[in-house]
Amino acid sequence: MIRTAILSSIALLASSAAAPAQQLTEREFQSLHAELQQPEDAAWRSVPWKVSLVEAQAEAAEQLKPLFIWAMDGHPLGCT
Amino acid sequence: MIDRASTFADSEVLKSLRQNFVPVALDQAYQRRQEDAEGDFYRRIAQQGRPTSSRNATTQGLYVAAPDGTLLGFTNNRSPDRIRRMLTEALGRYQPASTGRIETGRRDPRYNPQLPAGGLVVRVQARVLDGYDPPRNAMEDAFQTALSRDNLWISPSEHQQLLQQRLPDSLVRRIARFHLVDNTRGEPPMWKATEVQSVDVALDDGVLAGRVQLATADGERAYDVWLRGHLEHDQTGITRFDVVARGTFRGEGRYTRGAPKKPFPLAISFTLADGSDIADEIPPQGSRGWVQGYIDLR
Repeated sequence: MIRTAILSSIALLASSAAAPAQQLTEREFQSLHAELQQPEDAAWRSVPWKVSLVEAQAEAAEQLKPLFIWAMDGHPLGCT
Repeated sequence: MIDRASTFADSEVLKSLRQNFVPVALDQAYQRRQEDAEGDFYRRIAQQGRPTSSRNATTQGLYVAAPDGTLLGFTNNRSPDRIRRMLTEALGRYQPASTGRIETGRRDPRYNPQLPAGGLVVRVQARVLDGYDPPRNAMEDAFQTALSRDNLWISPSEHQQLLQQRLPDSLVRRIARFHLVDNTRGEPPMWKATEVQSVDVALDDGVLAGRVQLATADGERAYDVWLRGHLEHDQTGITRFDVVARGTFRGEGRYTRGAPKKPFPLAISFTLADGSDIADEIPPQGSRGWVQGYIDLR
């Protein structure tokens, strides 16, 4: 067992802490882990998204279809 | 998240994308800067829709282009009505013609980060559990209930340490700095090394548990969070990495405005990716532009 303990010299936490967090029970872990999963049937998943423009261009050229590019700051399938 | 819950929840938009287009999703902060064929091709399209002389300027938006790079449509308005109209008009302009593939050649390594063989991808998903005022419209409701998505990369050497029941300090620090964040409303600020105030996390007989406390120097943003989870392995490697972090978060970032005004509960799940989701291929948000800085935490 490795225990990591890093304490910075910034002694702000006690004064800046919000409402105290509580330790997770095994039951809470199981419930939250199940809850925090993307639904498999989300509508946007019905589109065969690619994440490589090179691969998309090759497929578009082959199938004679136009490209639809969803370009964001941060990955659209991720954090934005 | 908001686009996935609005624009790309519209049945007509989705049907048209499936039938008539080759759809691709990009973090254009990469492609607009890439010094390679993909970057050149992307900039050629983007310049027709959203001209800029700076590679640091965003080119965010929705583009339709012919395979040769000719722009057929562009909008940065994501209302489903606007998108449906744009798709229809773009299809009307499109004249199919034989086009070659992009000659790729050397790929710009800075913007094509790769997880070394033997590493692991872990899905990271976060949600604000409570604390918002009642939503005033569907958009606010989508933000408030959003489940974010990012990926945690575990290096090959860290993977080997986990197999020996050792929890690498570098992995705990990476989780703390880049994945214990509120990314439910957009791109979050990551934690600086000096903002990691305490870490006390242990791996004991396959059970990971502990506490992490994070705060900015001015105290405007903070997260006091407990972790609990289970790791399992077989002879080939880690087979389970199920962890939950839950704690009290305070504050917001430049691109994550609209957080609850008072401290709020934020929960984050970690789940070993199996490659079945296209988003498993996305590099971690915290690695953007400097993957070694993300991996080589000391």
